[in-house]
Amino acid sequence: MSTPRTRTLAAAHWPPGEPPPPLPGFSASTFNPLVAAVAERCLAAGYGEPGEPRRTALLLASAGGDRATALAIDTAAAGHRMPPLLFFQSNPNAVLGHVASRWQLTGPVVAISPPEAAAPGEVPPDALELAELLLADGDADHVLVIAAEQAAPSAEQGPDQAAAVLLAAAAVATATA
Amino acid sequence: MSSSAPPAGRPVFTGLGVLSAFGAGPAPLAAATAAGSAAGFAEVTRFDVSRRGTRRAALLADPPPLAAAVLGAVADACEQSGLPGGAPLLLALHSDLRTREVAAEVAQGAAALGLAGVDRVYTGACVAAATAVADAAALVGSGRHPRVVVAAGHLVEPGVFAAFDAGRALARDGRLRPFSSGRSGTLLGDAAVAVVVEADTAAAARGVRPLARLAGWGRSGDAHHVCRPRPDGAGVARAVRSALARAGVAPSGVDYVNANGTGSPMSDLAEARALREVFGEALDGLPVSSSKSVHGHALEASALLELAVTIGALDSGRLPVNAGWLGPDPEVGLDLVLAERRPDVPPRCALSLNSAFGGANTALLVAAA
Repeated sequence: MSTPRTRTLAAAHWPPGEPPPPLPGFSASTFNPLVAAVAERCLAAGYGEPGEPRRTALLLASAGGDRATALAIDTAAAGHRMPPLLFFQSNPNAVLGHVASRWQLTGPVVAISPPEAAAPGEVPPDALELAELLLADGDADHVLVIAAEQAAPSAEQGPDQAAAVLLAAAAVATATA
Repeated sequence: MSSSAPPAGRPVFTGLGVLSAFGAGPAPLAAATAAGSAAGFAEVTRFDVSRRGTRRAALLADPPPLAAAVLGAVADACEQSGLPGGAPLLLALHSDLRTREVAAEVAQGAAALGLAGVDRVYTGACVAAATAVADAAALVGSGRHPRVVVAAGHLVEPGVFAAFDAGRALARDGRLRPFSSGRSGTLLGDAAVAVVVEADTAAAARGVRPLARLAGWGRSGDAHHVCRPRPDGAGVARAVRSALARAGVAPSGVDYVNANGTGSPMSDLAEARALREVFGEALDGLPVSSSKSVHGHALEASALLELAVTIGALDSGRLPVNAGWLGPDPEVGLDLVLAERRPDVPPRCALSLNSAFGGANTALLVAAA
């Protein structure tokens, strides 16, 4: 999972159907724990342990987004009480803040919604293109691309899916006369 | 120093479309921000807010559906630019159960306007639109596209309003008071905005005079918390330095800052510390304001709305007023624009800053054409 201008430092996926570990501070949805779990797995494969700050960007791609949280917010707004925690997770950046804080990743934080979900175990091609652009733009040395799709309520799309890939710019070939 | 790559081409803005609480077009928005008007904020009647602690926002009286609002702004931007067909559209929207539906409607309408459809949808909260602008600049600057349209839309809805209210993010006294003593939070606002980002060479070849230049852009992460800003503002400072380095502009070359300034006690202080870190003593003579104090916080569309205000300030020479001021916060220490101000020397270069959940920070450096 890379492009001609990137190289893969690490890749990971979360086993479909396996519940991710609970993520303190997040509720009502498997989306954020899923993102955190697959990010942790990929970063551990690429970096080992959290350590010194790295100029690594975080790029989350999800066609469906955090549907369970969105539904919980709409339901709570129509009812009598809105759980305060839903404010924190009302957008996909929040869980990226958790990952960035734990691993001291200081690059850009980006979330996109591609028109179609990636194939299971992969990240969307558009996210790889954007990662390449981020690397070329210069504010990041690496990009952690995370793809996460929450199962639809009807479960027609199967279980939750998540994959991640840690990318760097490909070595530039030196031109010779 | 940042290792940000200098742009191969120079991105400029050749079209702008705006819909804000003050109505359609950049002129009423510019007039309101230059005067520091509080007239944009009112009690919300669009949906029931009787159970909310805060009940005010800057809303349009009778807004079109979100996709139509965005397409209206896109059409205005394309018309002003005289845009040739085939440009891609980068779109910033809130992530919810309707995102895909709205994006599909925008894509359909964009195709009818001669665009190549929606290339990408950004959902990264309050930096979503600035991230899209930076990517558009990178695409234009690297020669991948001669022009890219960036659009964003946010119309205040009951779910987001209730979530922000429950999270105690909204101003308890119903006033957005950036950097002021007694500030207690933000107020939400409607916006649909579009800009055409174009290579200066492509614009010149068409004989189009740019509205302004995007001289630099920078992005960073705080690596601190899911939603709280890093208290020392180091992440914001890195984004600003990246934008300045990319533009080759020294801090002394910045004439005005349209700050993120949400009215949050913590976030405003962190941003002020970031500005002190970058500008040092020169900050004492650098005019700063947050135009959110006039048009509200438009979340995913906020960065594009504030970019529109910043472009307007460079064009008119009138600096946006930091409204809602009660008195100084001794820890902030900014030269805030507290009343109508038109500097003797017109501003030539301005920063527009945004920060978001997840510790995301963006800086757009806009220069007069």
